[in-house]
Amino acid sequence: MLKRHPWLIPASFLTLPLLVYFTFVILPTLNSLYYSFTDWVGYGDDFNFVGLANFEKIFTDRLFGNAIKNTAIWLVLAMTAPTGFGLVLALALQGKRRINAIYKSLFYLPICLSPIIIGIIWVWLYSPKLGIVNIFLRALSLDHLATAWLANPNTTLYAVFVAWAWQQTGLTMVIFLAGLTSVPTPLVEAAKVDGANYWQTLRKVVLPMLRPATVVVFALTAINALKSFEVIWVMTMGGPFNKSDTLAVFMYSESFRKFKMGYGSSAAVVLFVMTMVIIALYFRQTSKAEELYD
Amino acid sequence: MISMGAPTPNPSPKMREGLKKRKFPLIARWSNRLFLRNSWPKRVGVGLLYALLTILLILFMTPVYGAIVTAFKSAAEVSTGGYWTPPASLATENFARVMDPEDGNLGLYLQNSLLLTIPAALFSIALGTLAGYGLGKYKFRGDALLFIFIVAGMFLPPQIALIPVFRLMNDIGLYDTLWAVIIIHTAFGIPICTLVMRNFFQIVPNALREAALIDGANEYMIFLRIMLPLTLPALAVLATLQFTWIWNDFLWPFILTQKADSRTIMVGILNLTGQYTVDWGGQAAASLIGSLPTLFIFIFFQRYFIRGLTLGAVKG
Repeated sequence: MLKRHPWLIPASFLTLPLLVYFTFVILPTLNSLYYSFTDWVGYGDDFNFVGLANFEKIFTDRLFGNAIKNTAIWLVLAMTAPTGFGLVLALALQGKRRINAIYKSLFYLPICLSPIIIGIIWVWLYSPKLGIVNIFLRALSLDHLATAWLANPNTTLYAVFVAWAWQQTGLTMVIFLAGLTSVPTPLVEAAKVDGANYWQTLRKVVLPMLRPATVVVFALTAINALKSFEVIWVMTMGGPFNKSDTLAVFMYSESFRKFKMGYGSSAAVVLFVMTMVIIALYFRQTSKAEELYD
Repeated sequence: MISMGAPTPNPSPKMREGLKKRKFPLIARWSNRLFLRNSWPKRVGVGLLYALLTILLILFMTPVYGAIVTAFKSAAEVSTGGYWTPPASLATENFARVMDPEDGNLGLYLQNSLLLTIPAALFSIALGTLAGYGLGKYKFRGDALLFIFIVAGMFLPPQIALIPVFRLMNDIGLYDTLWAVIIIHTAFGIPICTLVMRNFFQIVPNALREAALIDGANEYMIFLRIMLPLTLPALAVLATLQFTWIWNDFLWPFILTQKADSRTIMVGILNLTGQYTVDWGGQAAASLIGSLPTLFIFIFFQRYFIRGLTLGAVKG
């Protein structure tokens, strides 16, 4: 019996996890697509199929356009600032010195904190009168730069972003450090013997070898950036004047505050499609990278 | 930095002696490592690099410092002295206030978070181990495709499932219970757990299994008696990761629970900020309390935690 049906054994291991995964992850995802074509309000079964009306509406919605714009800014910042900072820190701390282990741990620390707590802590840092950011600026006699960072429509998105990036930096650093361990030491030594200085070695040897890690960092950062909700919600709830309203926040407020579940679903679908595009790009890049290094 | 590991001319024996015989052995050892092996220009370079790193680190740690000192200050001290000076005395009134059932009630929320996080982490790891074993140790038609199908779940933004899960939990009567959140975290944890366990089982030698088969063991005995005991390091990696994510998560309990009896610590802390908008000390104390379990894991199991982060990221 078992010999004739070899799939029975793996199936006996896989059935339960697949069942749970399908019911609570895949099915809801598909359901979301369905709701995005309806005008459901969050309770009861009394809703209509409205076709593409939600999508027609969403692409002319001023608030949605604003959320897309903020998400785009957020994405561009996420791909540059924490990524670059994480790379520099990884390069500086990659050696085996014991002091490096301590420094690394401290830079990693924000990873284990909840985004909720990060948001709360950063709200004090930005507090107009007593916050350290403004105290610091005043100490440097830069009083004119001190502002109510979260209440000022011009700075709010960037202020929230810095709090988010504080955590993200440690994460990119972890991945870059893992990537750096795969750079063969003989190669670096050879470059040095050939008379290359630090910058030349970095540009011509180390950074090209870091390509796979860089692709991972970019993909992960982009996905994290798209779904980031908590830090923004705690710090500004998307305000003031929707100036820090990203797609994830827009989706939440439409669905769970205005109870336009159908409409909110179509926002979720847009977010989902954006994530899928990034994943597709990522897999194309990794397969390219594998061809390069195989 | 790459250029610093190389052996370069050593300083004079006299200087070396001098540094070795310092009164502070730890500092002497560090300064030996940092400076003695390198030539002078490099020593200056290393010194500058670490000076810069130290300044960065101080800036980077400012938020954490602020939270700690504020938590131990009385309300009067916060409003007069700002939050950034060290506390005059170690006041614990903030902690007492947020833990008080009549006030912040964090004790109940901590208990709820534990009752949620531990089962959800265990269930997701158990299911991931089953799936990982099925995919890592057996070959069958479509196994690669099935693996991609499961791992793809790691990338899904939770927002896509938010509304249908909210409805589903209402329909099956689990809305506003810890079970709703446990089930969802179990399901959403399956992809990462399957990924890590499948990669782990793939490197366990097949000879082990074959030897046991010859001895007459069946597939399930092999899994339980031989394979499971081997998985301990991988389980430790997943346990630290899953515990941290689930403990820190806010979105799912925020959507799926309402009353205080099923409120988790993160939702509780946010409610606190609404309740006392200017109670900085209380918020800081609550933040410290809420971070203690994950900080504990981070400090004592950091090796596993960081391994998990890279495994999940690089392979995914």
